[in-house]
Amino acid sequence: MEIELKEIRDFLAGIPPFDRLPMALVEKLTHETSIRYIRRGLPLPPDNVTQDRLYLIRKGALSLQSTQGNLLGKLSEGDICTIFCMHGDHDKFIIDVEEDTLVYTIPCDTLYDIVRDHPTVAAFIQKTASQRLKDAVSSMMNEAALTSPLMHTSTQELMNSPVVSVVAGTSIYDAARSMADNGISSLMITDNGKAVGIITNSDILQRCVAARLSTDAPIDTIMTSKMLSVTSDSSAYDTLMIMTRKHIHHLPVIDDGQLNGIITVTDLIRQEGRNSAYLSSAIRKADSIDALIEHSRTIPQLQLQLVKMGGTSEHVGKGITAITTAITSRLIELAEAEIGPAPLPYAWVVAGSQARREQTSHSDQDNGLIISDALSDNERPWFEALAKYVCDGLDACGYVYCPGNVMATNPKWRQTESVWKNYFKTWINEPDPKALMHSSIFFDLRTIHGDKSLLRRIRKQMLQQTSRSTLFLAHLTTNAMKQRPPLGFFRDFVLIHDGEHNDTLDLKHNGLAPIVDLARIYALTEGINTVNTAKRLKLAAGTASLSKEGAANLLDALIFIGTLRTQHQAKQIINGVDIDNFMSPIEISRLEREHLKDAFKVIQTMQTTLERRL
Amino acid sequence: MLHHLFGYEAKRKRCLRKAPPGVLKEFLSIPFPDIGERVDAIPILAVDFETTGLSPAKDQILSIGHIGIENNEIRLASACHTVIQTCGDLAEENVVIHQITDDIKYQGESIRDAVEDLLQALAGKVMLVHFARIEKSFLEKACVQLYGMAPVFPIIDTLMIAKRRLDKRSVPYDPSELRLFTLRERYSLPRYNAHNALSDALATAELFFAEVGKMSGRNAPALKSVLL
Repeated sequence: MEIELKEIRDFLAGIPPFDRLPMALVEKLTHETSIRYIRRGLPLPPDNVTQDRLYLIRKGALSLQSTQGNLLGKLSEGDICTIFCMHGDHDKFIIDVEEDTLVYTIPCDTLYDIVRDHPTVAAFIQKTASQRLKDAVSSMMNEAALTSPLMHTSTQELMNSPVVSVVAGTSIYDAARSMADNGISSLMITDNGKAVGIITNSDILQRCVAARLSTDAPIDTIMTSKMLSVTSDSSAYDTLMIMTRKHIHHLPVIDDGQLNGIITVTDLIRQEGRNSAYLSSAIRKADSIDALIEHSRTIPQLQLQLVKMGGTSEHVGKGITAITTAITSRLIELAEAEIGPAPLPYAWVVAGSQARREQTSHSDQDNGLIISDALSDNERPWFEALAKYVCDGLDACGYVYCPGNVMATNPKWRQTESVWKNYFKTWINEPDPKALMHSSIFFDLRTIHGDKSLLRRIRKQMLQQTSRSTLFLAHLTTNAMKQRPPLGFFRDFVLIHDGEHNDTLDLKHNGLAPIVDLARIYALTEGINTVNTAKRLKLAAGTASLSKEGAANLLDALIFIGTLRTQHQAKQIINGVDIDNFMSPIEISRLEREHLKDAFKVIQTMQTTLERRL
Repeated sequence: MLHHLFGYEAKRKRCLRKAPPGVLKEFLSIPFPDIGERVDAIPILAVDFETTGLSPAKDQILSIGHIGIENNEIRLASACHTVIQTCGDLAEENVVIHQITDDIKYQGESIRDAVEDLLQALAGKVMLVHFARIEKSFLEKACVQLYGMAPVFPIIDTLMIAKRRLDKRSVPYDPSELRLFTLRERYSLPRYNAHNALSDALATAELFFAEVGKMSGRNAPALKSVLL
């Protein structure tokens, strides 16, 4: 290669995946490169190019659309356009050349020939942004697994043995008796020494009591017979992963058909010194606000622990939220002990990230009170006193007062069921974009103490209204579009400039908030009751609002950005500085940048799809 | 009709009859593209010389860079850069600009080899340069010295294209606006290392694309409308 072309070589060498190639191969690639200039509005690939080619944008801008007209992404300087490397996929896309564009182009066959000893490079080119993101998330989880102490512990070391069991045909009553006597939450059912089923506390509650089934019925009628199991030599980490993935809390340990033990999630997380189970039980026993303050100081350490254990943002969110909830509940109990029992049924509700179970240790408080409609003026002071006690207590524990005054101490958010119902009616039926912006937090509400039926009735009525109110959904969508992912990340690294966080990327507002907003809109459109973002996406998948593929891509983006954030915060905790959501470019590896860009593209695609429905 | 008598194809045929056997004759034996063809359909060779000065009578060619355009795209595989063994020592100001030192120069090729390489690459193509006077006059002088005659070269000059566009406007402009570097900046083209013959040839080729892009409707203009 002529040395004079080194500027082009260096440009290629800086673009993933070519940054992984040895320089000699990048030089070969440079030699095979052609330069084209595509005028705005002209087609790409150009009319006279029929072979499959890779395009790299040197200057200019392209937008990529599906044949249905959905915007799939925008490409600009330094971006790589791989779609013409995928055989047979050409006619699924339309490229719109938005500015006069200078491209470097390489025939795919030549390219694959040059990189044939570097399969990851070819694989990168053959994958779409969402596929690459999926890979990144799974390798993130694998990497985290390697650092977990559970990785080096066998299930045998942690399981409960011998197993308490009953034989098939035992009555539900006797089985429940046995569980109560032994203080266990699950029970194995055996037949001729072989495990044939498992039953848990919640099975008895849901399948027997709630179903009005007689407790004399045989246990076989309500047991789970198609059960998963693990072997005693499998790693504790794998066992935990099976439980997390399948959302189960108990697993029998079976070797060669022989039931040898049972293992629970609690057994597993008890292994971690500072775990959420330990902390929340300590909180439940705390007898003063000072004791709660003391416990709350360890929350950052818990977050660090969860990250070190291999937790994704989802695990961290659930763990931290559980602690916040425990502290709040304990404060309410302490308040009731001081000011007397509640005169009326009520619900302490939380809003925002705590409701969604997506908190990190850096959170302010958002809460409110829903009180039974029987409320009279005489009883109001009790609730005011409760609100003051709890909100002050939360503030003392590090959950600072909500700057937007969304707190039970605010009379506006300490109201009866009927008043709350009217609030929602107004927000939905007479939507005002600005008011909606401030009220969207109330569409993510959860009861953490008191009578859950109050909020359940409000949300039921609310969801019936939202799914029908197109104007409301339109306003919600317009508001959600105000937070766009920073797609120019690579080119100019969209940074916020507000002094302290100069030259950083705001992972929360630029990355996570848009996904949270999208999920809320899907849920409200489809009448989905849950508030957790991941759950909303899973439940909305395959509905008219959200394709299965779109949901899967958004989930990957959520976990990737979220986990990047929790890892960033873990570093801050280690360094003893206050945690935040601002990542500086130097903190983000080149590959992470590429994945972050893929995640942003996924968000943008979904935003655009939603916007077009308006 | 006229260009058959006076155009460069007519000149090429006249020169061909006089040319001595060898590379020059082979160069002249290949027809140039028709001036009615669209510029995006013809083969072009972007060329740049670095010289010791501006006067072909006193100064010498230091290096030649060229790169081909085919099917409307610049092929990096066709890139070629040749340093020429000139007579005498180099003046310091030249070394500073071109980064060609006496040591590099002594490893270079003879002017005959360099010119013959260029003629072979240029056969049947239109020559694309920025500020044609330098390349045209130095190449003609070299041919006269080597073959006793100067052939004909159809030339597109990106500087002239820019000048014609600026002249059409009634506002005066500074001549520095016609520099390769300045024009490329105007078209938002990437920055390349200037004053290297190959880099400048590549830079000229890209500038030509941008100029043609700004020039016409959907179809690229005919060769005759951009020919020098």
